[in-house]
Amino acid sequence: MTSSIFMHPATMFIVGALLLPLFKKFNAQKIWLVVVPLLAFIQIKYLPASFGCVEWLGFKMQFGRVDQLTMVFLHVFTLMALIGSIFGLHVKESGQHAAAWLYVAGSLGTTLAGDYLVVFIFWELMAFASVFLVWYRKRKRSIEAGYRYLLVHTFGGLVLLGGIFLRYLNLDGDLSFVAITPDTATLADYLIMIGFMLNAAVPPIHAWLPDAYPEATVTGAVFMCAFTTKTAVYVLARGFAGFETLAIMGAIMTLYGVGYAVIENDARRILAYHIVSQVGYMVCGVGIGTEMAINGACAHAYAHILYKALLFMGVGSVLEMTGRSKLSELGGLYKYMPMSMIFTVIGGIAISGFPLTSGFISKSMIIAAAGANHQLILMLMLSLAAVGTFLSVGIKLPYFIWFGPNDCGLKPKEAYWNMQVGMFMAAFMCIFLGVYPDYLYDMLPYVVNYHPYNSYHLTETFHLLGFTGLGFYIMVKYLKPHDVSNLDLDWFYRRGAGWFMWLARKPISSTNEWVSNVYQNIGLRFTMALARALSWFDWEGIDWALDGSARGVVKGGEQVRQFQTGKLQHYIGAAVALLFLVLIVVVLI
Amino acid sequence: MIVNFLTYLRERPNMMKWLFMAVLAFALVFDFFADRHHAHFWGDHINEFWAVFGLVGCLALIVFCKGLSHVWLERGTDHYDK
Repeated sequence: MTSSIFMHPATMFIVGALLLPLFKKFNAQKIWLVVVPLLAFIQIKYLPASFGCVEWLGFKMQFGRVDQLTMVFLHVFTLMALIGSIFGLHVKESGQHAAAWLYVAGSLGTTLAGDYLVVFIFWELMAFASVFLVWYRKRKRSIEAGYRYLLVHTFGGLVLLGGIFLRYLNLDGDLSFVAITPDTATLADYLIMIGFMLNAAVPPIHAWLPDAYPEATVTGAVFMCAFTTKTAVYVLARGFAGFETLAIMGAIMTLYGVGYAVIENDARRILAYHIVSQVGYMVCGVGIGTEMAINGACAHAYAHILYKALLFMGVGSVLEMTGRSKLSELGGLYKYMPMSMIFTVIGGIAISGFPLTSGFISKSMIIAAAGANHQLILMLMLSLAAVGTFLSVGIKLPYFIWFGPNDCGLKPKEAYWNMQVGMFMAAFMCIFLGVYPDYLYDMLPYVVNYHPYNSYHLTETFHLLGFTGLGFYIMVKYLKPHDVSNLDLDWFYRRGAGWFMWLARKPISSTNEWVSNVYQNIGLRFTMALARALSWFDWEGIDWALDGSARGVVKGGEQVRQFQTGKLQHYIGAAVALLFLVLIVVVLI
Repeated sequence: MIVNFLTYLRERPNMMKWLFMAVLAFALVFDFFADRHHAHFWGDHINEFWAVFGLVGCLALIVFCKGLSHVWLERGTDHYDK
């Protein structure tokens, strides 16, 4: 066995990220960007079933636990890291790549974690690293969206942590991350589930996703669409399979997301809403909880990561080359970016579930599992969402970007070569999985007894897709995009924050001012006089009597002050860097 | 090459329309020959069920979502900046 020489995949990405600036200095950043994910991708096959067990401050922590369920996700996460890194090769800023890799590390660490404490550590790493992918866009809107994203995820993390603490109390210190059955679930388990559901973007706690993703950088969005929600699907599948709440919420998600995808205008916002819809399938599959449904959820997560990233790469290329992502400002680009067009259309037909693409062999598995479990309403909801998927992402999005009723007049260049390579890899996988589903089915946690290519499934698909196309053809004038955005539940905290600020500024602040005026006029004078007397005594009396150390401290303090830039991003960056160092030390020892 | 081909097709919307109709007709005919052993519920036994589901579902989604957007949800893109 080669298992004696392996490295935790998360450590690989963390070390890789820390060394990036060094490789940049020697002009080898591009090589490093390919080598590290490639090594990680190859290496996951050699991971032992259990590793990295440490005792730390009385906690038993397990950094590595590998089984079939872990393996599917590890496989697609590392593959996606490779594709995403190649897609982003042209980006010169090491910081952006480092943030992406730390984010990947968080996701891999969560996937491999054997106990809740390790889950929580990497969970937070994911949130704090990914927010930089939004901030690196450097526009005012992105900075604001990043802060909202961070606050919402901090809230979710706290709920998760609360659940973990309660579980720790309930189970006498056993924090191992194992399946929970719905009958024995307590408040602690539900808190954990809510924390996970926030990352899976289950309504009503989903609005962070369509708020932040469209504001991320071009490559940042490609990474973000793959990891946060799918890691959440993994942890839900690991811990909460068979919870009926999840099945119902998942089915609602599929329609909620697709409904917004039909009416939105910004291409990346459409795709972001559509993630909500697609993750809904997976959450629903996890909730149904049968072997076939869990298989379906994993297969769909695998397929979804690839085609959704492909779509984000396609519209990202358009954004990179034209600076635009609103459908109302695009049209007729097929003449100038034909390769990007072909790849995006492949992503579009794959997500819609055309035969011979990955969507056909994965999505149908969840729908069939709902049918086999006699959950008719869920099955029809999922089928309706499939109609909406083809309508919004399969037809509307490519049509208004690449063709459309009128040309936008732009003549952009084709996307950079590395972007095309990234898109080609994802597009290849979409078709490869459709043609050879057993490659994916063999990786799934349970034995697969499902054959997607039967005549009934084919005729069902032809009908659903063909007549959705007819519906689009009839209504295309009505679907013409306008430059608007739609309210969503983030209204509560975006407007709510405004009211809170008003409250803080007006009544609370004025009361505060009045009190401090009173204090300044009466109390402060007295205190100041006393302080001056004491200070004189301390400075001249005691410090003189000792060795002048107070003067030394004052000087040192002046110097330390220079380090504090006052920018919250710097502090978070430093804190995250410190966390990685601790992690590396813990993992390596 | 592909660009020229697509432009060629784009300039012939009528031909595209008939091609599309032919595909739909094929789908409708194909349904009568499909094997229905794996039916999950009553709808699976009705010929052309999913065609009606697809068309009605699609139109209903468009009318409902666009309508809701128009009367309630639609805002300017700078709504929160004000």
